[in-house]
This record gives sequence, structure tokens and C-alpha cells, in this order.
Amino acid sequence: MTKDFVLSTEDLTVGYDSPIIRELNLHIKPGERLTLIGPNGSGKTTLLKSLAALLKPMEGCVYLDGRSAGEMSGEEVARHLASVMTERVKPELMTNRQVVETGRYPYTGRLGILGEEDNRAVDEAMAMMDVGDIADRLFTRISDGQRQRVMLAAALCRDPGVLILDEPVSYLDIRYKLDIMKKVSDIAREKNTAVVMSLHDPDYAMRYSDTVAAVGYGGTFRIGSVKEIFTENFIRSLYGIEDVDEALFPTKPWF
Amino acid sequence: MTPRKRYAAVFVLLSLILVMLVLINIMTGSVKLTPAQVTEVIFGGGSDAMNRNIVMEIRLPRVLSAVILGGALALSGYLLQTFFANPVVGPFVLGISSGAKLAVALCMIVLISSGHAATSLLMVGAAFLGALLAMGFVLLISLRVRSVGILVVCGIMIGYICSAVTDLIVTFADDSDIVNLHNWSMGSLSGMSWNEVRIMFFITLICFGWAVMISKPIGAYRLGEDYAKSLGVNIRTLRIMLILIASLLAASATAFAGPISFVGIAVPHLSKNVLKTTSPLVMIPACFLVGGGVTLFCDGIARTILAPAEVSISSVTAVLLAPVVIAIMIKRRLR
Repeated sequence: MTKDFVLSTEDLTVGYDSPIIRELNLHIKPGERLTLIGPNGSGKTTLLKSLAALLKPMEGCVYLDGRSAGEMSGEEVARHLASVMTERVKPELMTNRQVVETGRYPYTGRLGILGEEDNRAVDEAMAMMDVGDIADRLFTRISDGQRQRVMLAAALCRDPGVLILDEPVSYLDIRYKLDIMKKVSDIAREKNTAVVMSLHDPDYAMRYSDTVAAVGYGGTFRIGSVKEIFTENFIRSLYGIEDVDEALFPTKPWF
Repeated sequence: MTPRKRYAAVFVLLSLILVMLVLINIMTGSVKLTPAQVTEVIFGGGSDAMNRNIVMEIRLPRVLSAVILGGALALSGYLLQTFFANPVVGPFVLGISSGAKLAVALCMIVLISSGHAATSLLMVGAAFLGALLAMGFVLLISLRVRSVGILVVCGIMIGYICSAVTDLIVTFADDSDIVNLHNWSMGSLSGMSWNEVRIMFFITLICFGWAVMISKPIGAYRLGEDYAKSLGVNIRTLRIMLILIASLLAASATAFAGPISFVGIAVPHLSKNVLKTTSPLVMIPACFLVGGGVTLFCDGIARTILAPAEVSISSVTAVLLAPVVIAIMIKRRLR
């Protein structure tokens, strides 16, 4: 039954003009980390956008806590689900705290003025993401890694049941990659938030997921545990690198 | 200093400056008045009938319309800058003011030649249609090209075409109409009546309130379209509202005072730099105050610098504000 799942889909078909992934049935439990892997252009972002209600499904339905997202208002969806996509903007003269505060908008009245509870949620989220000390600095003047933490705090402060992340660690250096992935796992564990994300690096996908979904060209979709998906042959065929003569997975972890 | 205190301090300061400017503008002119005389007329009725006439029938309506229309233009510019996520757009450079100007000129000629009097509301209506039409062209272009440079150039081109057609119409109009039309098409705040002030006040008030009501989605939109969408903002509705409010504001300013250049671009920047924020709940009233003050200041210069002749207000705003716009562009390029 869809009620036990924070996020589920029923025969979901996604795409822009023509369908990219067809008739998908996903069921995600609270606190579960689902990672989408697959080559560029296979439709990971399209799927994430559809799950995050940023893109209207071509067919089928997305359910949040058992209720159809299509029948909820935009703000209601935003209270259940937060997303951090790859769109990179340079908002003028906004401090990090002001950026995080916008994350609370779905709970505020018409003018978007934060109340006491909202401010507390913002403080907590910023503390958890370790950005409390840069709260008053300008968002445009901090590093990419810090910016990603601020965006996570903005998503976190509205206490969503589902967090959707599109390539949260691309273009970050190794220190921030590990840092962000750890924080995402903390959110899933401590807040019991379901996380659906896409990752480029199979290594991170192996280490920081409970479930992995492989999205291939032509809309192929296979979902399973880390062990089920990460077999040498499957990963090779997924990315179309059957003829590359190098071991994909190190026999021992490198760290 | 906390941001909140800063906003409060700046708003108090801006209001004081505005009141000062209002007073100075009422005092100066071919008949000089003292502050005491002005306050006497405004608050006490005043005994001198001539002074009373000068203040209440000539200077006060003009000063108020400068504040209202300047505020309207600045707010229109702020909304357009939000819409295009770009700091170098405004109602004048996008050709919206010129579109409104063309429509008003057409309306005036048709009405005057058929022997009707042109009412203010009709003028505003015509200007609004013209503004929307020009805006429609700009939007069509912006759908096809994502480059803001091209957008601005196209806007200026549309502005030139509209101005050329307006000039053509003015040339073929009867001599007696031309004087009026010519003055207006250069941009002028002279000869405002209380009735006109009332109409522009209500239109601007409605737009102002409307803009405040959508300050939450505007605030979210600063972080990008996808982000705003993820907060539950209906992007399409927001965009339509931004266009409608911005066009209505620019149209009412143009209908009453003719095209006034650069207030719409420069003022949001000046306000942003003074307040060090882009929060819409602060920016909307700030743009209005600064826009009103700047326009009033420029109008003061326009009517006194070559007295008793008047310079068009657009010439003054261009000279004073175009450098601001250039400075903004250079600063952004350097960053």
C-alpha cells in the first residue's frame, strides 16, 4: 500500500516531448537513500524533476505520504518534499541566512515573514549543516562546497519527508564531496528523511546508498540493493564501456 | 548594525530627504516662497490668495505627480529586472514607455480631430495597451534569444520605431494640437491637475499593493526558476503578474508625463546599494521612495535651470542617471 511510503509512484512515465522512462513503480520508505546512477543523458535529472513536481509527469502519478502530488497545492508539495537541483544562481546581496530563510516560505503567510518557529527551524538546519558561522556572509562570496551546504540547509529547514538531490557533489573537491555525502546520510538517519539523489561516481553511490537504481539509455530501469546492481558486467553495459580494459572496482577500498 | 536597524534608519532618512525636496520644490519658481508661507498655505489655508493659488493649483499637484510617477517608474523597473533576472532593463530601454507613448499620441490625435476631449483614464488605457503591445514584442524576442544584450538592443530599436511613428503622427497633426502633444512627447510634468493626481495615485497604489502581495514569490525567484518552483511558486502566474504590474505602472507614468528615461533602471540599483539587500519587502517601498525623490529632484532642475523656459524632464534624468547605468554595467563586468 502506498501509505507506508513517503514517496511512491504509480505507472509514472516521464519525459519532455516524448517519454524517456516509462511506467515506473517506485516505493520509498522514510530514511531510505535511493541513488540513481547511469550515463549522462539517460534521464536521471528528468526523473528527479518529475519526482520533485518540477516537471509534470506525462502519465501516471507521484504519491507523497500516500496522497497524489498532482492534487496538492504547490506549497503543500513543498512542505512534504524539498529538492536541490543543479541550477546555479548568483542572487545579489543575499546573506546565507536569507537564502536558508526562503526555504521556510511554504510555511509562512502571504508576505513570507518568518515567525519564531520558522527562525528556530532555520537556526537548527544551519547548525546541522555547519553553516551557522557564515550566516551573515554573502551567498555569492562563499565556496561551492559551502554553497551546497547552505542549499541543503535551505531544503532541510522545512523538515521535508523527502529530499531530492541532483548530483549534489559534482564540481566539488574531495573534502567537500565526503563532507556533503556524510551530511546527506546524517539527514536520512537523524531526521528519517528519504533521500533520492543522482550521483556520477559509482564509488559514492556504493558507499552512501541503501538502494540503487540504474537508469540506462532507451529508458531501461533496474532497481536493487548495492550488491545487486554493482556487478562488473552490469555497470559496464550500463555505461557502454564493455571494451575498456580496466578494472572498474578496486579489490580493496582506496581509503 | 543589524539589517533591520539599517533599513529603519535608511527609510527615515529617505523620507526626510523626500519631505525636504517637496518643500524646496514648492518654494522655488518664478515666485519665491518662504517655508513659513508654504506650510501656512498647506496646513492653515493661508490668507494670500495668490500664494494659495500658486501652491495648491500649480506646484503641489506637480510635486505630488513627480513623486507618484517617479515611484511608479522605479517600481516598474524593479519588477522588470526581477522578471528578466537582469539589472540593465527598465521600461524605457525595453521600449515599453515608447509603446505607451505611441498609443497615447494616436489616441490624442484621433480624439482631438474628432472633436472629443481626451480624458485621463482613456489616456492611461491607451498607454497600457501600447505598453503591453511593446512588451509583447520584447517577450517574443526573449523567447527566441536568451541573450540580454540582444534583448536590450531590440528594446531600444522598438523604442526608436515607436518614437519615429509618434513623430510622424505629430507632424501631421493640426498646429494647435502640436504644441500640447510636442510638450508631452518630450516628457513633462507641468500642468498636472488634481484630478490627474488622484487617478495616478489610485493606479499606483493598486499596483504597489499588488507588488507587495507577490513579494514572497519574488523573493524565492531571486534564487532561480527551479528553486522558486520547488518552493511551490507558480512561475507562470508570477511572470504574468510581474508583466502586468510593470506595464501598468510604466503606462500610467507615460500617459501623464510622457516618457521619462532611466529612472526605471537606475533607481532599483541606487536603492539596492543604499539598503544592501534585495529583499522585495524592503525593495518595493525603497524603490518607490528613491524613485519619487530622484524624479522630484530632476523635475526641480528641469523647471529652474533655464527659467522661465523649461527643459524636458527626460533630458535631466538622462544626464544624471545614464552615468549611473553605465557605472552599474562596468561594475558588473569587473566582478
